[in-house]
Amino acid sequence: MYAKTKELLLKYGIPSLAIIVVVVQLFFVNTQKLNKWKGGGYGMYTGIHYFYDQIYIPGLSVDSLMEDNIKMKTILSRLKLMPNDINLEKAAKFVIKTTRKDSIHIQIWKPIVNSKKGTFSRVLVNEVHLKKSQL
Amino acid sequence: MKYWSEIKYKLTDHITVAMQLLLLMLGIYIFIMAEKERFWKIPMLFIGLMVWFFLQKKSKHPIIWIAFFALLVFDLYHFYFRVANHHFMLMFMVLPVIFYMYHQKRSILLKNIQMLLVIVILTSVVQKLLSSQFMSGDFYYYMMNKGSIFGTFLNFFPDSLEVAQSNRASMLALYALDPNEGEHIVLNNVFPYLGQISFLFAWATVAVEFLVAIAILWKPRHIVTHLLFLTMILGILCTRLETGFMALLAICGIFLCHNIKLRLLYVMIVMGCIALVVTKLGYH
Repeated sequence: MYAKTKELLLKYGIPSLAIIVVVVQLFFVNTQKLNKWKGGGYGMYTGIHYFYDQIYIPGLSVDSLMEDNIKMKTILSRLKLMPNDINLEKAAKFVIKTTRKDSIHIQIWKPIVNSKKGTFSRVLVNEVHLKKSQL
Repeated sequence: MKYWSEIKYKLTDHITVAMQLLLLMLGIYIFIMAEKERFWKIPMLFIGLMVWFFLQKKSKHPIIWIAFFALLVFDLYHFYFRVANHHFMLMFMVLPVIFYMYHQKRSILLKNIQMLLVIVILTSVVQKLLSSQFMSGDFYYYMMNKGSIFGTFLNFFPDSLEVAQSNRASMLALYALDPNEGEHIVLNNVFPYLGQISFLFAWATVAVEFLVAIAILWKPRHIVTHLLFLTMILGILCTRLETGFMALLAICGIFLCHNIKLRLLYVMIVMGCIALVVTKLGYH
């Protein structure tokens, strides 16, 4: 009995672990806006890579913000990977702190394509307005 | 002929061959990833290598495998949402190998690899089915019009290459505009009927992947299963140089395949992918 259970565990334990990782990834994709390309759910090449998503901050250049600022780069990269409310707020707070602005508006835009019409445009995924007084 | 018998002899013990290639891939991957959090990795690598170098024969434990696996776990802990899917795949392949070195049962190792392959490919099918952008053909339409897939072949069609370059330039120009203005661009097709081709290609991709997953689940060692699996791997490599992931799939193929000639083909794919990964022409 013990030997049989052990063999069963050895045979299916690791594949079960792989399934758990997939379930966790699907949970994060559906609740936390995790991009399908990441998280071990084998969702690569099912949609346009999140690298092409756009962080838009009116009045500020995102490239300039990230230049020589590793923490900003990390926060904004994480925002692209998982553009949920928590990451948006974290990014907004850090941008306010860095730029010393009174308020900030951050938007995440995703590219969309329509193969029937041949068009390429962008759609808003999430956005946040944050004032310094709210910090 | 002498060389061929040498190759045949080498390929007879396919589990050893697959494990050797997996260790090689693992070493290369660890090397590529070593720069991230390097100060923690230096002592881990140093101790692992020292123990392996001096105590390899005295210890019954697969030290180098365990040391490399520890590094994979370390990266997973620090970059869970950032590591690529093949990081997970690599971990799920290394773990059965480490266990195999203790239990020594080939049937268990092969079952692990078979089930892992089925899960990876079937999950990929489900993810595609759940993506409206993929199933409508929009994703392939975008990728082809940008020259991001079949890029190598596009070089043989200068007019199409020019169209792809112009599409990329238009996209960049659009990105420079305020997205709130709601502007859009119209893409020029690199080939006629690209919308229809993309749609058919998307469904064909899902069908082939599903067929391969079912074949591996049902008849994991059958020659037809491996012909299908090899077609899938080579097909993916033609669309884009996803060499790291394809090398891992090919190593799984070596584990499961019974046919010597197909094993050789798998080995050639792994070697080719490794050459492309280390020269950074392919993706790791």
